[in-house]
Amino acid sequence: MKKDFFSKYTVISIISVTLFFVIWYVLTAKMMIVPAYVMPDPLKVFGALLRKFTVKTPDGATLGSHIAASLQVALMGFGFGTGLGVPLGILMAWYKTVDRVARPIFDFLRPIPPIAWIPVMILWLGIGTEARAAVIFMSAFIPNVINSYTGIQQTSQVHIWVGRTFGASDFELLTRVAIPSALPNIFTGMRLSLGTSWVSLVSAEMLASTRGLGYMIQIGRQFSRTDLVLAGMIAIGILGGLLAVILEKVENRIVKGRQGYGK
Amino acid sequence: MGNKTVNLIGKNSMRIVLTLLPIIGFLILWQLAAMFTSIGNLMPGPIQVIESLFISFAKPLGPHTIQMHALYSLKRVMVGYGSAVVTGIIFGVSLGLSKMFRALFRPLFELIRPIPTVAWIPISILWFGVDEMSKYFIVFYGAFANVALSVYMGIQRVDPVLVGAAKMLGCSERQLTFKVVLPSCIPYIFSGMQVALSAGIMSVVVAEMINSYEGIGWNIHAGQQTANMTQVLTGMVALAIFGLLMAAILRQVERRMCAWNTRNT
Amino acid sequence: MEYQKYIEGRKAVITCKNVCKEFDIRDRKQAGSFRVIDDLSLSIYENEFVVLFGPGECGKTSAINILSGLDRPTAGSVFQGDTQITRPGIERGVVYQSIALFPWLTVMGNVEFGPKARGIDRTQSRKRAQELINLVGLQGFENAFPISLSGGMRQRVGIARAYANDPEVLFMDEPFGALDAQTRYMMEEEILRIYEHEKRTVVFVTNNIEEAVFLADRIILLKSCPTSVKQEYIIDLERPRSYTAPRFLEIRQKITRDMDKAL
Repeated sequence: MKKDFFSKYTVISIISVTLFFVIWYVLTAKMMIVPAYVMPDPLKVFGALLRKFTVKTPDGATLGSHIAASLQVALMGFGFGTGLGVPLGILMAWYKTVDRVARPIFDFLRPIPPIAWIPVMILWLGIGTEARAAVIFMSAFIPNVINSYTGIQQTSQVHIWVGRTFGASDFELLTRVAIPSALPNIFTGMRLSLGTSWVSLVSAEMLASTRGLGYMIQIGRQFSRTDLVLAGMIAIGILGGLLAVILEKVENRIVKGRQGYGK
Repeated sequence: MGNKTVNLIGKNSMRIVLTLLPIIGFLILWQLAAMFTSIGNLMPGPIQVIESLFISFAKPLGPHTIQMHALYSLKRVMVGYGSAVVTGIIFGVSLGLSKMFRALFRPLFELIRPIPTVAWIPISILWFGVDEMSKYFIVFYGAFANVALSVYMGIQRVDPVLVGAAKMLGCSERQLTFKVVLPSCIPYIFSGMQVALSAGIMSVVVAEMINSYEGIGWNIHAGQQTANMTQVLTGMVALAIFGLLMAAILRQVERRMCAWNTRNT
Repeated sequence: MEYQKYIEGRKAVITCKNVCKEFDIRDRKQAGSFRVIDDLSLSIYENEFVVLFGPGECGKTSAINILSGLDRPTAGSVFQGDTQITRPGIERGVVYQSIALFPWLTVMGNVEFGPKARGIDRTQSRKRAQELINLVGLQGFENAFPISLSGGMRQRVGIARAYANDPEVLFMDEPFGALDAQTRYMMEEEILRIYEHEKRTVVFVTNNIEEAVFLADRIILLKSCPTSVKQEYIIDLERPRSYTAPRFLEIRQKITRDMDKAL
């Protein structure tokens, strides 16, 4: 095990990443090959990232409050999208009537990329938090419905028969057999939703907002503050990654006895 | 035999009617709601949207007709997506086959990947200006990782028994790569390309919404700016058709190239 | 005595001397090794049909992998004639339980794969491939993809593919294990017909006693894991054999009695 950790390739990886930053630094700070408004050096970018926690210029808020604004909307939209999407998907797959009513609307909405909803929501709800939350809701809602739906539909017939022979009612079959066996799919849906939510949020903030990380990088561009743009991108990347990791931890807690690769 | 075929056709058309019926019902409901309730203030009915879509084939929306907008978007998607597919396959294969390559580039790739495509739009404008290049870059970025990762996964999941069989049959290492590993990745390549296509289309739409004077994304955005809901919805319908059409074409290509992977039914 | 008479005048094709095989176990809690083969020695003679017979999961596949050269033993050595087997080679062919056809190649493509990889003249390899396809009874299916064939037909392709390189020895690792009982009986007769037609040394692995007695000139009974040779039997029944002949049942009973009971 220890031998693996310090293998040749680990060393190469470390060198590769270090080299990336060194080359970036040398090209920008030392050789001045590209002007700072196109590409500032890495130290400036990380400096900007740290300083932004206290500085309010040029976009009127600190990084902390941008993050808070983004997270609030993202979690709200994702929460509603999941809270409504997962049950709807399950019901659509389990009850024919729900399927008949909801399916066509759904087939209609599905091919539209979630971000295309941004203008619609702005026209309906203005450029406030509600519009953004509605966009995130749409982004999270659709993958959740689709994956829960397929998850329930893929419930093994044998498992259902087993449940039947033990005298389970239809509702018990749903809660005791179908939903547990669909959990991996449901979580796949949630993971996808979380990804698209985060993307839609950044887009929405870039298009219509006065707060949030998307807004911050958009303003950074308008002021040619490339260091801020990059700092914002890093923050967006880290937060998005963090949210995904948290969801994965939750998933590993809840979904047990899974077959397949890894873990 | 003849009887069976007739039966099948009958069944198929029944199925089509069954799927179409609720959609038509939905459209009628929407139309009625738009005509007689306050929803009409929020958005036009489907007839109006479809009408406006047809009109826009002849009468320009902004600078271009809708098919010209679609062509602009198509060009951006083709350039960005095309180059992402080519480089993504090469990158994914190299990741899968060479430990050295993986050690060198995997960490950098993982470092950059969490940053969503849209977050690159401002910097791409700073780097490449407001013209086409920045849009190609955005579409490329949106599609690249999907293709690369899918191919990489495909290589990791090549059936070891198949590799053993090829070795027993006298395959050299080089032949193994080209005659076994790559062919068995083809389904993964296609599934990566499908995901990348929707990511690419999504990217082009945001890029056009934020920074463009033409394209389907611009259409939707311009509709919002002039508070013209009909134009927004027209753009969305056009976008949906555009996306479905591209995906269908890709599926056809896949069916041709992977006849071995799907039972002909 | 019987054994001495049997091997008299026969040339040993494969000689396996004191082979051991261990696998490293990598677990979060412990590291160690797991021994699957413990001092396996055996000889296989020219043009005989040998069946390696043993209880389930006793290490038969590991043994075949080592004999064919796909895997290296931890200790001991395997020879084909005078040359040590250290890697896969075209002098040995393998037929797999999972069949392992290349799904993207047609029947013809699969059968031609070996000769083509070796760079054999196209027309010549095509002619030989066609011959083998006819031999296994698949004429008319040359351009079909494996997915459209039944299990039995696929394994016929697998057999033809293994023959295409004209190997000295053919290893068959539970080749009919994935087939249904009816197809299995048919394939057992087929393999004998093919064996009579294209005389090769065949090493056939199975965990089915009926199959073993039906096919073998000689049965090598293996111990349960870690495996080695437990007992050998010369089966001098006339072919075609009958599953229900008294002698057949007698041999079958005897071997079953000698066999280790698997868990």
